Amino acid sequence: MDISYLGVALGLVLLLYPFLIFAHLKIKLSRQLFISISRMILQLSLVGIWLEFIFNQKLWWLTLLWMLVMVSTAIFTIKGRLKFQRKILLPVISTALFTSGIIVMPWVLIMIVKPQPLYDPMYVIPIYGMILGNSMNSCALVLERFENGLADNWQAYFTRISLGANLWEAVLPPFRKALHSALLPQLLNTASMGLVSLPGMMTGQILGGASPLVAIKYQMMIMFAIFSAASITDYVAIRLYILKRFDKYYLPKGGR
Amino acid sequence: MKNLLQIDIKHLYYKNKTLARDIKLQVGHKERILIVGATGTGKSSLLNTLNMMNQSYEGEILFGGRPLNTYHPHELRTRISMVMQETYLGEGTVQDALDEPLAYCAQKDVDHTDRKERIYQLLEDFKLSPEYLGQKNSQLSGGEKQRIGLIRTLLLRPDILLLDEITSALDQKTSGIISDSIFGTYPGTVIAISHDPLWQERWNRTWRFEGGKLIDNGGVK
Repeated sequence: MDISYLGVALGLVLLLYPFLIFAHLKIKLSRQLFISISRMILQLSLVGIWLEFIFNQKLWWLTLLWMLVMVSTAIFTIKGRLKFQRKILLPVISTALFTSGIIVMPWVLIMIVKPQPLYDPMYVIPIYGMILGNSMNSCALVLERFENGLADNWQAYFTRISLGANLWEAVLPPFRKALHSALLPQLLNTASMGLVSLPGMMTGQILGGASPLVAIKYQMMIMFAIFSAASITDYVAIRLYILKRFDKYYLPKGGR
Repeated sequence: MKNLLQIDIKHLYYKNKTLARDIKLQVGHKERILIVGATGTGKSSLLNTLNMMNQSYEGEILFGGRPLNTYHPHELRTRISMVMQETYLGEGTVQDALDEPLAYCAQKDVDHTDRKERIYQLLEDFKLSPEYLGQKNSQLSGGEKQRIGLIRTLLLRPDILLLDEITSALDQKTSGIISDSIFGTYPGTVIAISHDPLWQERWNRTWRFEGGKLIDNGGVK
């Protein structure tokens, strides 16, 4: 069942409530509300038109090109979010996101979803979008946690290398902590899935007319893929970050 | 005799600034060396250079006849070992802190058969009872922490002990216990920075940083 454009416009009326609350409490968010909502409407409209176009074309190179645009946007989003060691982040994040995509996407497409043709953008792009979005957030989080873990306790780090630890042994405690704290929220989220709220992808499919039984299969598949991709991304990102962050004497490069 | 460490540093830097030039020194076994000089003259930088914790220098350092940078950093740092002003012992017990190096690759192939006896001996040398092994590190005083840190480093059996102001935050009594046990029982070479008057008379050699130079008294009092 489609929604009319008038219907979408009527949805805007709901924003009157936050607007009134901001005005009442004199919170300076009204301007930001206006900007954010306008940007969202503009971006989604353009993306809608654009996706409609590439879904109809079903060209492998166009699909691939769009995936590259997606991953590049993700890379620069993470880079913009992180405020430390900017010089070394680009290759670290890029390699991590590429690696997880190259490992997870073929498995999902060839073994599970099996679209015809395999590069059918109607499947490839939404699935990759979900995997990439989660990997992106996880990657930013794990790098931030790892760097903070080092910064909070350089004394412990230098103690370890003074006592005969090699680089790997010296970075392992903050590495473990960072990975733990980046992946735990996802696991908790996974455990409550379906009971608290229906995941976005499933909601979309059900509203779009799919049977809930089909929707849950897609949702399970996407959860496996998301968690796998996030773990791979985080692991690769920190491994590379360590190589760039420390010299051959295990001393931090570019300051503490 | 004097072939344990050969230092030939042309420039010693700190953040692109030259601290000192032309440092030529030979260090032998069992020497007791005190580094003196005003703040910011290069004392700590030199000490850190000797166990690869500082790379801001030009020149060559030989340890046991081999250039320093031909050693693995983890191997070298257990043979030329540093104890700092503040010791970090971690969250567990004293025993956990003493065992920490066992997990690291530099200690993997080391024979630990007499380890227990050595720990008891060192605790006795530093005037600590064996009950300390079960204590939480967080409950130790500054002086106790420093002594446990020293014991942990001495268990590595380093050839050279580098000490950076290790007693400056401690009272005289504890400082005395520490210097007594180091000078009384440690068989290797000690190179230390210290302002502790108690320590002054125990050195057989001083290196003085002055005007961008290092003046060696050559072991003459």
